[in-house]
Amino acid sequence: MAQEGVESGLTWEVRANSRHYHKPKQKNSFMCFRWGRYADNLVRSYKYSPLTFLPLTLFEQFQRVANLYFLLMVVLQCVPVISSIPWYISIIPLFTVLSIRALKDLVNDMARRRSDSWINSRPCDVLISQSFNTAQWKDLFVGDVLRIRKDQVIPADLLLLCSSEPHSLCYVETADIDGETNLKYRQALSATHNELTSHPSEEALAAFDGVVLCEEPNNRLHTFRGQLHWRGECLLLDNEHILLRGTVLRNTEFAYGLTIYTGADTKILRSCGKVRMKITRMEKVFNKVVIGIVVSVLMTALLLAIGSGVFSAWLMNDLGVMSVLVVDSNPVYTGFLVYWSYIILLSPAMPIILYITFEVIHTVHSQFIGSDLEMYWQPADKPAQARNTSLSEELGQVGYLLSDKTGTLTQNHLLFRQCCIAGEIYGDASVRAEDTEPMDLSWNPFSRGGLYMSAPSLVKKLRGQECPLSRQFLTAMSLCHTVMAEWKNEAPVYQAASPDEEALVCAARELGWVFLSRTRDFIVVSELGVTRQYQLLALLDFTSQRRRMSVLVREPEGGLKLYCKGADIVILERLQKDFPYLERSETALELFSQACLRTLCVAVRSVPEASWEQWSKILAQSAAMATCERDALLEKLYDQMERELQLLGVTAIEDRLQEGVPETIALLQQAGLKIWVLTGDKKETAVNIGYSCKLLDSDTRLLEWQELRQILQSPDPVVSFFKGRQTELWAVDKGRTEGKTAIVLTGPELAEFDQRPDWGTTFMSLAAGCQSVLCCRVTPGQKAEIVTLVRKHTNSVTMSIGDGANDVNMIKTAHVGVGIAGVEGGQAVQNADFALSQFRFLQRLLLVHGRWSYRRISIFLRYFLFKTCGFALVHIWFGFLNGFSAQTLYENWFIALYTVFYTSTPIMLLAFFEQDVSSESSLRWPELYKIGQRQELSSPLLLSLSLLHAVYASLIFFFIPCGVFYNTAFDYQTMAVTVSMAATFTAIIEDHPQQQTF
Amino acid sequence: MVKEEQELANRPDNTAFTQQRLPAWQPMLSAGIVIPGFVIIGLAFIGIGVALFVTSHSIQVLELDYTGVENTEPCYRCSDPSSKNCVCTLEFSIDSLFEGPVFFYYGLTNYFQNYRKYGASRDDNQLSGDLDYFKSPGNDCAPYQYNSNNKPIVPCGAIANSMFNDTFKLYQIIRGSKKLVPFDGKGIAWWTDYNIKYRNPSVTPLKNAFNDTVKPLFWSKPAYELDPTDPANNGFINQDFLVWMRRAALPDFRKLYRRITEGDYAKGLPAGNYSLEIAYNYPVMSFDGRKKVVLSNVSWMGGKNEFLGIAYLVIGSLCVVMSIVMLIVYAKFKFPEED
Repeated sequence: MAQEGVESGLTWEVRANSRHYHKPKQKNSFMCFRWGRYADNLVRSYKYSPLTFLPLTLFEQFQRVANLYFLLMVVLQCVPVISSIPWYISIIPLFTVLSIRALKDLVNDMARRRSDSWINSRPCDVLISQSFNTAQWKDLFVGDVLRIRKDQVIPADLLLLCSSEPHSLCYVETADIDGETNLKYRQALSATHNELTSHPSEEALAAFDGVVLCEEPNNRLHTFRGQLHWRGECLLLDNEHILLRGTVLRNTEFAYGLTIYTGADTKILRSCGKVRMKITRMEKVFNKVVIGIVVSVLMTALLLAIGSGVFSAWLMNDLGVMSVLVVDSNPVYTGFLVYWSYIILLSPAMPIILYITFEVIHTVHSQFIGSDLEMYWQPADKPAQARNTSLSEELGQVGYLLSDKTGTLTQNHLLFRQCCIAGEIYGDASVRAEDTEPMDLSWNPFSRGGLYMSAPSLVKKLRGQECPLSRQFLTAMSLCHTVMAEWKNEAPVYQAASPDEEALVCAARELGWVFLSRTRDFIVVSELGVTRQYQLLALLDFTSQRRRMSVLVREPEGGLKLYCKGADIVILERLQKDFPYLERSETALELFSQACLRTLCVAVRSVPEASWEQWSKILAQSAAMATCERDALLEKLYDQMERELQLLGVTAIEDRLQEGVPETIALLQQAGLKIWVLTGDKKETAVNIGYSCKLLDSDTRLLEWQELRQILQSPDPVVSFFKGRQTELWAVDKGRTEGKTAIVLTGPELAEFDQRPDWGTTFMSLAAGCQSVLCCRVTPGQKAEIVTLVRKHTNSVTMSIGDGANDVNMIKTAHVGVGIAGVEGGQAVQNADFALSQFRFLQRLLLVHGRWSYRRISIFLRYFLFKTCGFALVHIWFGFLNGFSAQTLYENWFIALYTVFYTSTPIMLLAFFEQDVSSESSLRWPELYKIGQRQELSSPLLLSLSLLHAVYASLIFFFIPCGVFYNTAFDYQTMAVTVSMAATFTAIIEDHPQQQTF
Repeated sequence: MVKEEQELANRPDNTAFTQQRLPAWQPMLSAGIVIPGFVIIGLAFIGIGVALFVTSHSIQVLELDYTGVENTEPCYRCSDPSSKNCVCTLEFSIDSLFEGPVFFYYGLTNYFQNYRKYGASRDDNQLSGDLDYFKSPGNDCAPYQYNSNNKPIVPCGAIANSMFNDTFKLYQIIRGSKKLVPFDGKGIAWWTDYNIKYRNPSVTPLKNAFNDTVKPLFWSKPAYELDPTDPANNGFINQDFLVWMRRAALPDFRKLYRRITEGDYAKGLPAGNYSLEIAYNYPVMSFDGRKKVVLSNVSWMGGKNEFLGIAYLVIGSLCVVMSIVMLIVYAKFKFPEED
């Protein structure tokens, strides 16, 4: 049996009810030695133990170069001959920084430990010697049989054995795994269902001795392959039989499951991958500045050391008291030592405290974003959320906004508005949904309202049994979907994974075709009051590549029917030849998409019994194959079935724009953002949405692929020719429409870019002159490619915004990813840096919070530069008057406390709260945002000016007191206090004028 | 109702802090404020500058360089390092009453008391009278830690070793006879130095504390003989020692030597001829330094200091000039009100 398992890649063996078999193989570790195979069900998300905390946290922190640099300084200071300031002076700031950071890590780790122990001690029912006992999660073993009650969280990855529901169906909510709130069903094998529910369950379950062979633990949440060997039979297992850890059992009294993966082996724990760190441009500027400072410190110290050598040589000639102070009577050696002393002395110019302050400021800004009432969406009780707290200032510099369409610009609250059956168009989309004349549906006891289509003629046809095509159309709508029905108050409530399906099923319900329930093998539909039960033979599911789904059912009369729905291109190319209504349907498709409606084609095929039998055999075989080949094979198989289709009709669904979208887009465009729309929809729909959300104006000229291609191609041999042509082209445009041009591309056209890498630059320079770019029919992968293209060819900050799983790629690729917490589940939000509930909140996020944050952080950076450099440079000037001896001009305690204590609060408060203009004004004058896009506040020029300012200030700090103190009886200490006072007061007062820099 | 509240559990607090509506004030730097502001600041600075300048001018200072670089100078013969116990006399006259109290300083130039290794070369524990450090002075004192016979030096270190040891006597010449001007040497050091930082070991007689130690190489007499007449001015709390130990900030400096506050001279030095008798011991020629004595009186702003007044005047005038420039620009262009 095991042999067989190895061959098919199924090497993970689980024996039911046999702890004695699994226990010795439990995973264990001591130090770095690990042994055993099966993980225990303990979650250990904490990083530190009391023993490892200190070394680990120090190791982590010294990976930051600034900390390491300061550690080096402390080490240097411990060398007596070169220590210009005592060792404890640098260690105070370093210690402060390290301990704040360590404390933060510790607190986080404690919180993790607490939540771990809370999770680990959750109760569950385990079958131990013929009865279920309550145990804690951490005591579970692989092979245990569990009983899960309604609304309980599932503690490990289980194989569903049976449940309290008929056919051992059970429903799970996967919100914690993928964020989708709709119920999904899982069903036990009929073998286990039949055998284990017939007896009193405890006994039967205790006697269950099946062996599961399956894949090694992996992170693929949506696939599972395995076999159950029981009573000599080998039964195939797939994802449908598995209850994943973290999901919640719903609508099911009991479910019994066999533990397959525990703890660290479970799919959810395997799939929490590491988050890619995004580094903001500001931080890169920081790093460059820090490196610049370090380099100039080294250079300056060198010059001063040379000065010291010269001075020592002069001192050597003196026979008096000072001459002995030249070390080893060697000026060169003295100079060498003084070099290191000066490095120590000038090291405060490198702001060690900067990084930690930077982090604190980011956290506060993120808090502000989360607590903004104007970005709080009351209907869903969702505030905005900064999931990545270190990007807030990047929001103030966004140059390109790449947006998804569905669910982001639109509500994704779908209304069935029109349909075309047999070439006949029903409904009218030009009337607003609310104004549609309601139809009389009182004859339908299941009618719940919500149909915004007025087509009495269709109802008449349906009820009059006149038109078989339209009846089939509705049958298809009520059968071909993955919606679940939940019965509440004597009526079905639909739980759909996608809002399209819900809209279609609801529309079918209103028109009399009521989807009543679904089991694994049957779908029950009430057709105009007549309940019919269809046997579900196969479900050919939807993927973004296939862009269609089908169901294969056996009608109560015995015939086999394949109902298919999908995107128009994929359906139209699979139709029978010589279909009578094809032309009229295509006209209808065009009409619908012009009205900004989403279209789906519905088709049917009668399947001969013989071909079904053959096909199902191959299907069963290939379903058992190894994963990688299987998917391709299945697709091919599905493709074989979905052909020779007969078009039933076209559905048109309205996806309304979200509130405030046109205003937001207009505002963002005024703020200088380039807004691109990337959608999987048809070109016509996308363009129409573009018009309706004011992304395109009515006089905008659309630059389509043919023309674009010409422009892109023509230049290659002679660039200058192209340039002439390009300017000519734009000149003409400008004369006519003031440069209002938009590029419209589709996915297949974009694919050509792969072959022509040189087009990217040209394309981006073209796009820069355009009002917008619309990319239609793009796959999730292409969305990310477009983001990469923009990132590569411009130095602007890109932001992606989307709401669905298909946007995850582009959200992860962009500098800043925003997820809309909408209808399509939470995957986008899970992967995003910021989560919003409405598209229109974007204006506040960017124009108010982003702008403020960028401004605050730029001010903070420049101020910090000024503060620390102005403070440390004084020593250079003093060097000229103390024989370059690396004498400090400050009291020791002052150096230690200056940045950490004396001058840290005012700038922190400024960096938290500074508002140059109020939020209202920021929104009223969106042009203010352009400052951030051009990085005006963090430009090298301004940074150099800050440095010059620091040099100037240090000159004043030193030479004014010097003039006063020269040739007087005032001592060194008095001067030290005077200069440090000057530095402190200046640093505090300078806090304010920094704001005024424009 | 309760349900509704629960449902809105995530609603952010509506406070001035979380909504970033904290009351704020920010000066609007419009021309109407900046120009008068500059004028006022400028005028205030000019006022202070004038006051300082005038005061500084009224302070009388008499500076006498006695280094003896040229052979015409009275101390020329003493400037030779080989001459021992050399005394020279400097004659000078005062035209009008030098108002008292008069402060008597000695000054050194090109003397780097702020050199780091020099400044660090001392042992504060020893100077606070800790006998343990008499036996083994701190390493910072090197090379003035032990003498060649490996005996500890007390007080150790370069600063103490290089203590200024010229002494002065001032006479008024009245009809050919010399009248000693009494010096007041009390309270010329910092209070904290005298009372807290420097302490003699509590051993009587003080001399016993210095057993098995040697005086600094440069010194002619040990620390316990700095002022044998007054125990409150002897050893480490000798005022001249304290003044010297407090390092100067810059290479040209003065240090207070005595005050003239007593007797006939309490009101100041009357006009007339004076003679300054200098016991010339301290060598400065080797490092190109100069020695001088300075007689000065003080005002509310301290000693004579023209730089401070001038600095105030310059900055004040700059402010006024800037405000005039701004006014012209403003009048010419009339910036529209900022939004």
